[in-house]
Amino acid sequence: MTDPYEILNVPSTATDEEVKKAYRDLARKYHPDNYHDNPLADLAQEKMKEINAAYDAIQKERSGRARSGGGYARSGGYQYQSQYQGGYQSQAREGAAVFQQVRMAINRNDLGLAEQLLRQTGEHGGEWNFLMGMICYRRGWIDEARRYYQTACQLDPGNVEYRQTLNFVENSAGGYRPEGYETWSTGCGGSLCGRMACAYLACNMCTCGSMRFFYC
Amino acid sequence: MFGYVRPSEARLSEADKERFAAAYCGLCRTLGERYGLASRFILNYDFAFLAILLWEGEAPEPLHRGCIAHPAGKRPYFPGNAALELAADYSVILARWQAADALADPGGGKAKYRLLAAALKGGYRQAAARRPAFDGKVREQLTRLRALEEGGCATLDEPADAFARLLAGAALEARDPVKRRVLEQLLYHLGRWIYLVDAADDLPEDFASGSYNPLLRRFGLEEGKLTGEARESLVVSLDHSIRLMGAALELWDFGAWSAVVRSVVYEGLFLVGGAVLEGTFHDGGGAKGPCRGNKVQL
Repeated sequence: MTDPYEILNVPSTATDEEVKKAYRDLARKYHPDNYHDNPLADLAQEKMKEINAAYDAIQKERSGRARSGGGYARSGGYQYQSQYQGGYQSQAREGAAVFQQVRMAINRNDLGLAEQLLRQTGEHGGEWNFLMGMICYRRGWIDEARRYYQTACQLDPGNVEYRQTLNFVENSAGGYRPEGYETWSTGCGGSLCGRMACAYLACNMCTCGSMRFFYC
Repeated sequence: MFGYVRPSEARLSEADKERFAAAYCGLCRTLGERYGLASRFILNYDFAFLAILLWEGEAPEPLHRGCIAHPAGKRPYFPGNAALELAADYSVILARWQAADALADPGGGKAKYRLLAAALKGGYRQAAARRPAFDGKVREQLTRLRALEEGGCATLDEPADAFARLLAGAALEARDPVKRRVLEQLLYHLGRWIYLVDAADDLPEDFASGSYNPLLRRFGLEEGKLTGEARESLVVSLDHSIRLMGAALELWDFGAWSAVVRSVVYEGLFLVGGAVLEGTFHDGGGAKGPCRGNKVQL
């Protein structure tokens, strides 16, 4: 295994707190929710495994005893409960075999088949629109995906999975930003001064200090 | 390509700024060496960023030399390498097809494109012979794009997909399979972003001339500007493409270029997109507006 300190990008002399912070920063970056329905999700998962293994190895070395357990939960570290975990079971409620087939095709990334199956069904309810949205999203067609997700939410306002997915597309503030970068939106305008105010107001980023106006 | 992709200077150290300027000047020199003086006029920030993404290994210390475009003093540059040659070849292919596309458009203002197409004729043949796969991809997607535009396509995503796939084709020659996947996704959304930002930039002109513009069709606009609702939808789309670019770039170590790549994706694109939507992108003499005070001076 590569040097665990190198993976976490800290020196071997780092304190426990520094190691934990480095681990949490990396975990935030590669969090499964940042790669929801993303064609590179497998690469992010590999990174997570590496980081978890490195953190465990350091903990083990420092505590001098084997750590029990595994998976995503790390003592004192970051909890990886994906907010989307329960989502894929919801189609069972619908009981529509064709929608299950569509979801399986989407999971295999066979988007052509998934779309073909959907187009053959006559019922264009919430699930149909949601699955069309998923197909569009996988293709990178964000505008169309959002429109289908919006329709799905209108047709089935109580469905948590539809609402969460729509929020994910609409919430640009939710993505990862490296340390020091603001959570901005294109809608904030084109000058740094305006953007500082926008980031401050829209995103409630209390880290916006006076130094940022240095650029104005 | 249009010069929309640029780093935010505020995020770069002096070494980063010099490295970026050296990549820009290195690409200019490589274009000149491979395709003659005229080809150097196609150079813009977008192509320099492409060279950086395609870079293999660490960046060496820049060399310094006098430059015909900047007579005062010596400028940093990287001597030709595989990434600069690849980016130069791709740039010539893209610029040639961009000129052909503009000439096929029913709108006016064709003189500069005629000149560009004529100047690139010989160079394009060489570049296409060097990179036949990329040339084929560009040709295929531009044919598709033209058909969509002629058919008056009323979605944003479909025509943007054609340009996005075209640019993602630049990842074809990345040697490492992980890097290839990362670049495909990053360049797909960069291409999508460029197409949509350019559509927003051209909106008043296209409305006036009656030319196709996906924003006019998608939102059924009755004026040459975005309504509040249309603007909000476009912002969601642009922001999310940037988010997906960020998610992709974090899966590859861009080494010495990491700060430049991050400053483009996490700040530069937001600034340029915001300025285009505000109509201030062309203020202050060309594309200096959005990054005034935080733009890398070349």
